[in-house]
Parts: sequence; structure tokens; C-alpha cells
Amino acid sequence: MSPPHRRPRRPRVRRGLLPLLLAASTLAHAQLEVPLAFVGDPKSSAYRGAQEGLAEAEIQGQFLGQHYTLVAATAGATAILAALPAAELQALAANHPGVAVLNLTAQDDSLRATCRANLLHIAASAQMLADARAQWQVGHPGSPAGAQVWHRSFEKYAAAQLNHRYSTLTGHPMDDAAWAGWAAVKLVSDSVARAQSAAPATLLEALRTQLAFDGQKGIDLSFRANGQLRQPLLIVENDRLVGEAPVRGVAEAEDLDSLGVVECRP
Amino acid sequence: MPKLLPWLLLVAATLSAQAAPLRVFITNEESNEVSVIDGATNKVIASVPVGIRPRGIGVSPDRQEIYVAVSGENTIAVIDPATLKVVRYFSSGNDPETFAVHPNGNLYISNEEDAKASVYNPRTGELIAEIKVGLEPEGVAISPDGTRAIVTSESTNMLHVIAIPEHKLVANILVGARPRAAAFSADGKTAYATSEISGEVKKIDVAAGTILARMPLADNKAKPKDILPSRDGQRLYVAGGRANRVFVLDEHTLAIVHEIPVGKRVWGLALNQAGTRLYTTDGASDQVSVIDTVANRVIASVPVGKMPWGIALLE
Repeated sequence: MSPPHRRPRRPRVRRGLLPLLLAASTLAHAQLEVPLAFVGDPKSSAYRGAQEGLAEAEIQGQFLGQHYTLVAATAGATAILAALPAAELQALAANHPGVAVLNLTAQDDSLRATCRANLLHIAASAQMLADARAQWQVGHPGSPAGAQVWHRSFEKYAAAQLNHRYSTLTGHPMDDAAWAGWAAVKLVSDSVARAQSAAPATLLEALRTQLAFDGQKGIDLSFRANGQLRQPLLIVENDRLVGEAPVRGVAEAEDLDSLGVVECRP
Repeated sequence: MPKLLPWLLLVAATLSAQAAPLRVFITNEESNEVSVIDGATNKVIASVPVGIRPRGIGVSPDRQEIYVAVSGENTIAVIDPATLKVVRYFSSGNDPETFAVHPNGNLYISNEEDAKASVYNPRTGELIAEIKVGLEPEGVAISPDGTRAIVTSESTNMLHVIAIPEHKLVANILVGARPRAAAFSADGKTAYATSEISGEVKKIDVAAGTILARMPLADNKAKPKDILPSRDGQRLYVAGGRANRVFVLDEHTLAIVHEIPVGKRVWGLALNQAGTRLYTTDGASDQVSVIDTVANRVIASVPVGKMPWGIALLE
């Protein structure tokens, strides 16, 4: 309680402070620096996808007080994006315990089976792609169609907007690795903004337990216990988009675990 | 004769109540036209071609003009409700998705491809302000007193609160994935928003910029879009999208109190002035459902154009 003699002053003080307090609480967060490491070929489409993700993360960050950078050094990074073969990926994850390592390109099911706590797979596994193809062939026997993570002509669920943003920024059509690079930065940045923390351990925990990510594929995406990102896949025949998996009539559209292996197999 | 007089008066009163002119205007995203429904007969009485991919629709405060966001042509079409003809178009910035009409008559438009909201005077076509927001802005709401707007950004998962007339951002609130629509409570202190991908409704303290409550719909699978408070401030109506239902929520607790089955992919909502009739656009069923809000059930289904999206009432 204020002493009585100070009371007359209060309205004046409050008038002056209120806009400042509002600005401080809603707009001017202390800026959080969020370095994200990229390990792999900087000329790859995975890297270009990460650049698109970075541009979008920066748009969110300007409103919520984060500043994201893509860096080569893994030391001090909030998370590590990797476009590497399986063996190098395993070593990278082993050398950075407690830091999320996001696999953008390796499809090896053996990587998922090991269930390493800090290794998360944005790329679909070979088994997921095979299961999607098999679901499609139930209604289309003998079809030469294959499964992909993304396609440049995908339009539903605001995919058209993402394809447009990506090709405008990079001059390339978005492919599987580019989508993975984009998705990795976006799901990391959204989790960092929600936690208001760039600590690697906080992020890894949030990714594993709280993720409900809009990958512009029409459904919320999350990680399985084995580190694999649950996601719909696209069915492509002669470079033409013909369907989506889970394939309706064969599996429930929302049953993303009908694609690939869910459990750890040590 | 004197005995008949009260009866005659009653009949006259009933007739005038039934004849209260209400028309429903629907944008059909895929047939490029606005369907007009007579609220007394629940029949389509006109179809007005407007241009490619019409989505947002609204009525001027004086009820003399209907505005339609023609997304595929980067314009707003202005329809004269007396003649049901387009009387003019004005440029609205890139890819206008939807908008809200301010009590002063200005339109607050979300420009989906440009990550901004723009403010236009529809009488002159003049651009009054542009406000940078997050990616893929969609839903726009204006507080009843006209001092705040909310724009949702679908791909950055935020509600942006804009002060009017300053046109400055005063809060950016992170919500569930892909926020699509927002609405203010009658006193403007509270806002409600739907998130499509996280399948939920959130209740927000506008001044504090904080989330007060959330409610998942159909196990987070609903993909909700429009949201509207009832006229008595007790209920919220939510277009349940893929759940093919309208959810009726308690406005205070967000508890679900009714679920009303309608057509497929219900997106748009509009309520009559009395609050007794709720109209929905059922996108994948090419129809409008008419709901009795006392009985909480559909009393008519009206076939309209292809992929009906936006909806506005004129009384």
C-alpha cells in the first residue's frame, strides 16, 4: 500500500509508464539468439530448404523476440541440421549428446531402430516410403507410382504457398530434402518461440513431447518414440502427383503410423 | 368485428415478423459467384458473377453495399444489394483472402501472399495503411468499439493485435498451429480463435496478450474455421470443418454444450440480428445449412454454388 501522501502522484506516473510496460510485455522481448548448425553440402537442396525455413523463422522471431542464424559450427548450436550418410549421422549424434540432431536426408531404417535420444528424422524412412507405395498398389495394382515426402506441384493445405515462397527465394522447385530442411527449421523455431528458450535440452524435450507441427501437409506432425517424424507422404507417378498416403480406403487418413516402423528395435 | 380485431393484429404482427427481410450472401470459391438466399423461403434467388476465387464477404455499416474479396483477381467487388449487380471493383493488394468491416466503413484485409494486412476505404478505393504481419494472414476481426483488430497468421501461428487508428501492433500471441479465424467478445476484452491443424479453440485476454483457456475439438481432428459469439454472450459457435458439425461452446468455460451435424467441411458462419438463426457454408457439400439456435438443429439445407466459403447476412 502506498503512503497517503504519494497518492496524488500515481496517476501521472501510470500514464507515462503504461505504454512502456505494454511495449515491454508484448513486443520488445529481450532478443534470444538461436544459432542452428547445418552439417552437409551448403549447395544442396536440404540447405536451401533450411534457408527458406530460416527466412520464415525470422519473420516469426521479429514479432516474438528471436534471432535465428544458420552456422557451420556445431559447438553452441541450439540444434543441428544434418544432410549426411547414416554412419556420419550416427557419429555426429554421439558427439553431441543432449542436442537435437535433425536428419534431413538419410532413409536408413537401421537409424530409426537404434532410437538414439537426440537423433530425430525429418526424412521419411525407406520403410515408410515402401508402405505408402504398397498402400497405393492395393487400389492400383501394378502401378509404377512411388512415394515422396514432397512435390513441387503439391497445392493442398497451403502447400502451394510454401512451394511459391521457396521457388521465389531459391529459384529451385521444392523437393524432399528441401522440404525436410524447411520443416526442421520451422519446427525448431516454433518450439523455441513457445518455450522462449534456446537451450538445447529444453528444445529436445519439447520436440519429443509437445510438438504439433504444421508441415503444410494438412495434419499436425509429431515425433515417434524412435525419433521419426510422423507425416503424410505423396504418391507420384511419372513425376505427376496422383495421391496421398495414408491411402484412403486402405488406412485411415489420420493413421500416420500405418507408414513405417513405430517401435524401437534395439 | 371488435372480437376479430385482436386476431387481425396478431396475424399482421406474425406476418410482418415472418416477412422481416433477410438475405444471405455466399461466396462460392470454385464457381466464381455470389449466391443470394431469401431468408424467408431458404431458396437461392440470384447468382452474381464476381470473378475468380471469391472468399471473404462483408456488408457496409449502412447496409448499402456488399463487399467480396476476389482472391484470384486481387480486387474487392462491390455489389449493390438493391440491384444485385457488381457496381465497381477496387484494387485490394495481392491475394486478398478475407477482411472485416470496421464500424467506420473501412475494410481490414488480409493479404495472404504478402504477409501483411491492409486497410482500404471502400468508397474511394484509397489504401489507408499497411501492417506487416506473419506468413499467410487469414482471419480478421474488429472489436465492437473499433479500437482493435486481430489478424491471424496461419504459417507463423500468431494472432496479431492491431491498435486502431494508430495501425500499430500492440501484441503478437502465439497460438496453436494454423490459426484461421478470430472473434471478439461483446465487450472487446476477450477474443476467441480457431487453430486448424491443432484442432482447437483458444480464449485470449486481449489487453494482456495471454491465453486464458483452450478446448480441443473432436480429439484435435476437427480443423475448425469460423467462430462467432452468440448475441446473448453465453455461447460460441464454431464451424467444425472436417468434423462436419457446428460446435456450440460455453463462452466462459469453452465447454462443448451441443454438437450440430451439418454438411461436409463446414467453414463459414453468420448469425441473424436476433441470434435465432445460424447459417453455415458447408464447403464440400455445396450447401448452406440453416440452424435454429434455440433447438440447436438444422431446419433447412440450401444448395448453392461450388465450394461455398464466405457468408454475410443483410437484414
